[in-house]
Amino acid sequence: MDDQACPRCKTTKYRNPSLKLMVNVCGHALCESCVDLLFLKGSGSCPDCNVPLRRSNFRVQLFEDPMVEKEIDIRKRVLKDYNKKEEDFSSLREYNDYLEEIETIVYNLTNNIDIVGTNKRIEQYKKDNKEIIMKNKAKIGREEVELEEILEIEKQMEELRRAEINRLEQEAKKQKIREKEALIDELMFADGDAKDILNTFAQNKASKQEEVLPVLPKVTQFSTGVKFTRVSAQTALPIIEEGPLYKYEPPAAYDRCGPEPPSIEDIVGCGYLKHVRAENETEKAGGYNSTLPCLRALQDALAGLYHAS
Amino acid sequence: MDEPTLRYEKIDFLGEGQFATVYKARDVKTDKIVAVKKIKIGSRLEAQDGINRTALREIKLLQELQHINLIGLLDVFGQKSNVSLVFDFMDTDLEIIVKDNTIVLTPANVKAYMIMTLKGLEYLHQNWILHRDLKPNNLLINREGILKIGDFGLAKAFGSPTRINTHQVVTRWYRSPELLFGARQYGTGVDMWAIGCILAELLLRVPFLPGESDLDQLSRIFQVFGTPNEETWPGMKNLTDYVQFKQFPPQQLRHIFSAASDDLIQLMESLLSLYPPSRCDCTQALQMAYFCNKPAPTVGPKLPMPSNISKIEIEKPSLKRKLLENIDGGSLAKRLQF
Repeated sequence: MDDQACPRCKTTKYRNPSLKLMVNVCGHALCESCVDLLFLKGSGSCPDCNVPLRRSNFRVQLFEDPMVEKEIDIRKRVLKDYNKKEEDFSSLREYNDYLEEIETIVYNLTNNIDIVGTNKRIEQYKKDNKEIIMKNKAKIGREEVELEEILEIEKQMEELRRAEINRLEQEAKKQKIREKEALIDELMFADGDAKDILNTFAQNKASKQEEVLPVLPKVTQFSTGVKFTRVSAQTALPIIEEGPLYKYEPPAAYDRCGPEPPSIEDIVGCGYLKHVRAENETEKAGGYNSTLPCLRALQDALAGLYHAS
Repeated sequence: MDEPTLRYEKIDFLGEGQFATVYKARDVKTDKIVAVKKIKIGSRLEAQDGINRTALREIKLLQELQHINLIGLLDVFGQKSNVSLVFDFMDTDLEIIVKDNTIVLTPANVKAYMIMTLKGLEYLHQNWILHRDLKPNNLLINREGILKIGDFGLAKAFGSPTRINTHQVVTRWYRSPELLFGARQYGTGVDMWAIGCILAELLLRVPFLPGESDLDQLSRIFQVFGTPNEETWPGMKNLTDYVQFKQFPPQQLRHIFSAASDDLIQLMESLLSLYPPSRCDCTQALQMAYFCNKPAPTVGPKLPMPSNISKIEIEKPSLKRKLLENIDGGSLAKRLQF
């Protein structure tokens, strides 16, 4: 490990045992103090390849070869969009081709082969598969949330078990003290032989120990692994309130200050339409028909006739 | 006479649109919270008319309309060369609610939203006005759970036999096929189609037909409802911008909305009918079985509200949000702009 050195300040692990190498998306390593220095403002460019970087994206180098780190970063980014599952393909062959394509892209990006072309390919893919990507993202999200939930439940179980063990221990201790007291009482006040009393007590104790049943863990899930308390674990569903059922009421008619205009049925049935230009086919195809203008004209004509100042 | 600029105390900046900036303000006179929409002067061309056209439409129409499910225009005042409109203050809109994935929308919630929207629209249509820009973003909702239709910048009177209308209305995703084909004479069907798309969006929680261009929009529509022909849509070929499309077979709506009840599918089929004359109007829609069947619509105050109404979310993002971000790699590798 002695050859681990910061490429910028040339500090080695030997000279500074607390040296920590950090990497970013471009795969070039820097030591912690250089990162602090260069990215004082939160962002800057890599001294090696001039790629703009963000300080928050620096992390401790886990693998000796920085290329591996770079590959991991790129893979993470590519897989974010290439998130199809085997179910999305009709044949294994297609799925394998798809996996192969991902590998090619990752390899190209990692080794700087035809970056422009590859990025174009990714863009094209993103455009073509926007819906599937979005759908799968949501699915992954759900999986992750469920995992979190399971972890949480496991933690709770662990705690419960610990509390149970504690309780049992305390109980046993108390029991022991009580027995001892009983024995002493017996010895003090009984008339029988002390040896006999001791014997009976020892026997009682032995039989009692057998009596203690193993505590059964409480059942918290169905045999399929679905939790009983599933609903309470999620955000509470809104309570369904039974309000009054809806009943249609026509909007209140306002005072037209004139005679009541004919209804739509009257207009169609009583020959009003003979006096207006009928809609032509194009207008009808656009959703226009002459009934409405006819009704409107009649409404306009009759409104306000009773008006007197 | 009280100075209007003094009457309204600016509290907060709410947002900026193409034509206006909106502020939250307090009406000193009534101590009510209102929204003040300050109209921008706009380009020279628009300014030539004296006042922006969309603002004029809003003022002209809204001051005569009074309905619980339509945004109320409370006041209009001018200040120097600016005109400001004062509206009811609304806490949120349907787009925010649909996009907030911490909110669960029950069938009763959806029904309540639809009833309020349709009632407002019924009143509007009855008064011979087409809204022409219905979308979740324009369905405003306040704290009491009352939905009001807002933004009348594209609204226009209809029912004239001679007037030619423009077909360049309605946000594309909610635009009806006849508008996309360039119809110049249309009716209430354009609003009904948008309502259908909004209903679908309430169920899917994503836009139902998010077309990227007008042609893409049409092909998305036909991919779902099947390409119409001269039989199912007579006269279609005469429309100005008609283009021949690839033949798509129609799909069953109940397969797309697998969780929806049958009466809801029936309503949606009626709202999203390709042939405009067979689309239902508001009154017919409200009389359909879906609305009087169970479950009953949620009463206003029980409707869900986004959590940030009380500004909690900004300070403390929920755990779920964080989780999702991690999955997306939200904090990972983004190109920087210098």
